[in-house]
Amino acid sequence: MNILVLVKQVPDPEALVEIASSGKDLNIEPKFAINLFDEFALEEALRVREKHGGKVKAISLGGSKAIEALRTAIAMGADEAMLIEDEAFAGGDGYNTALALSKALEKETFDIVLAGRQAIDADRGEVPQMVAQFLGLPHVGVVVKLDISDGKAVAESSLEGAKEVVEVALPAVFTAQKGLNEPRVPLITGVMKAMKVQIPKVAVEDLGLTKDVAAPENSKTKIVRYLPPKKRPAVQLIPGEAREAAAEAVRILIDVERVI
Amino acid sequence: MDFAFTEEQQFFKKIITDTVDRMVVPKAREIDEKDEFPWELWKEFTKLGYLGLRYPEEIGGMNADPVTAMIFYEQIARGSVGFAQSVIMNILMGTYFVYRFGSQAIKERCLFPAMKGDKVATMCFTEDQSGSDLSATRTTAVKDGNEWVINGTKMWITNGPVADFATVLATTDLSLGAKGLNFFLVEKGTPGFSPGQVLDKLGCRGTVTGELVFDNVRVPEENLLGAELNKGIEYLGEILDEVRVMTGAMAMGIAQAAYDEGLEYARKRIAFGKPIGNYQLIRAKFADMATEMEASRLLIYSAAWKMKEKLPSRIEAAMAKMFATETCCKVVDEVTRIWGANAFANEYNPQRHFRDARFLLYGGGTHEILKDFMGRLLIGK
Repeated sequence: MNILVLVKQVPDPEALVEIASSGKDLNIEPKFAINLFDEFALEEALRVREKHGGKVKAISLGGSKAIEALRTAIAMGADEAMLIEDEAFAGGDGYNTALALSKALEKETFDIVLAGRQAIDADRGEVPQMVAQFLGLPHVGVVVKLDISDGKAVAESSLEGAKEVVEVALPAVFTAQKGLNEPRVPLITGVMKAMKVQIPKVAVEDLGLTKDVAAPENSKTKIVRYLPPKKRPAVQLIPGEAREAAAEAVRILIDVERVI
Repeated sequence: MDFAFTEEQQFFKKIITDTVDRMVVPKAREIDEKDEFPWELWKEFTKLGYLGLRYPEEIGGMNADPVTAMIFYEQIARGSVGFAQSVIMNILMGTYFVYRFGSQAIKERCLFPAMKGDKVATMCFTEDQSGSDLSATRTTAVKDGNEWVINGTKMWITNGPVADFATVLATTDLSLGAKGLNFFLVEKGTPGFSPGQVLDKLGCRGTVTGELVFDNVRVPEENLLGAELNKGIEYLGEILDEVRVMTGAMAMGIAQAAYDEGLEYARKRIAFGKPIGNYQLIRAKFADMATEMEASRLLIYSAAWKMKEKLPSRIEAAMAKMFATETCCKVVDEVTRIWGANAFANEYNPQRHFRDARFLLYGGGTHEILKDFMGRLLIGK
């Protein structure tokens, strides 16, 4: 059972993010982490391998710094890793990212592709589905349970207030949702392996694409502007007895703020 | 001088930071409040393999260089210094002499299980009348046939009340002072070896610290941990620099934990309509804290780099220990001021950092002793 895991390095959740004065870019504190949802994907890949044998390979597309996310994958237990190195993809278009990844995947032999349901930076949640589309593979998203047997998978997807059980033939693409598993803490043996490993790098040209694949003119979408969130209004104090004040609070939440 | 972290060390820092955030930070408050050896966390954490940090890969260690080891010491102390002290005792002082001088049988009985966390190690120097002045050690070891008979009482022993084995400093001749000192291995269950009083401490709680009593404890000849008799002080010199720099690194761990709490508070706490971090006097505190923490780290990691390169580092190690722990005390103090009265409430962390920081002033050598030592080296006798 060969499993490929798509891994993205994202800004650390605690990194400071500000909108640049142009309004078109973000200034992000250079602190990075492996995308949280990709850790679920990676953990699931390791569990599938432990049960069915095979290999786990982590693949990332990004700048040279993304090597760190791949080292984390090795530390957790991935057998191999590969970086498609291209700075131009940073913050780029999901379509081009998926195109490059799918070209890389065409060169691999695999039964399962696992990825996070979304990256916590752009929050678009689109790349794995597009990869599946490019490769002509089935896709099951937002997976919270995955069982593999006899060349097929039964996956449970999380829906609002319910679950959907999907059976699909392999190879297939799955995206991991929180709740699928609890990612392991790396053992020191894995950390040592990850510290020493040479992670192969390939360029987009090696995948049969042109250098400008991620250029803005080749993107399907364009970020026009970033807008800051609305400033939180001042605290509203509701006077009166507890019972009446609570009723008034509920009325405001339902009728005015429309949050419940 | 190039002590910039390598890509591998940066990666190691990231992994150990995440590991500590996930496993240790959430338990820190409970460890402090209960002040009991945190067995559950110990088992969970030690199975990751970090207790073999400094030892060769052939025996299941990581063979980490001193810089990498300092990264680990700093991060684990950032999580919980109470837990860190127990862990580091197993990694460094509590096992070093067993690793260096122990027979294969001793290693199999003590070192290898200690590297996995299956046994808890400790080292005993301090007595009620001796600490930095090791020449005043009163615990004696007298040869009787093929055995050594140990008598004395040790105090302030990290992990002491729960230790499975102890490396004990004892003199073979009281008249020789420091030149009569040796290390002996004493294992739990040896008749006459028993824990005494457990100390109720201001900080570093969760590391159980206490008295160990040796009443006619008989150990075989091979338990003398040293190639030659009466060279204990020389052998101690082999890890002294690392112990001092490690203490500085732990101080930076506490300082960072406190600093991060201060930062979060300064960004969120509103006074007169603005976050307090917008006021110059609060900003000045962060400028000062960050500057001194950066200076501390430069001392710590340059001393560690010198140790790695086998360059002389005795003065640098003392400087790093002293400067970093003093900085830590300043930082935890400033953070309590930033937090105001909330820092005085036990439900928040700044008071814990404030208490923990104090111990590092004394552990690894008081600064009064260290200054005297450095002055002597700098000026000459």
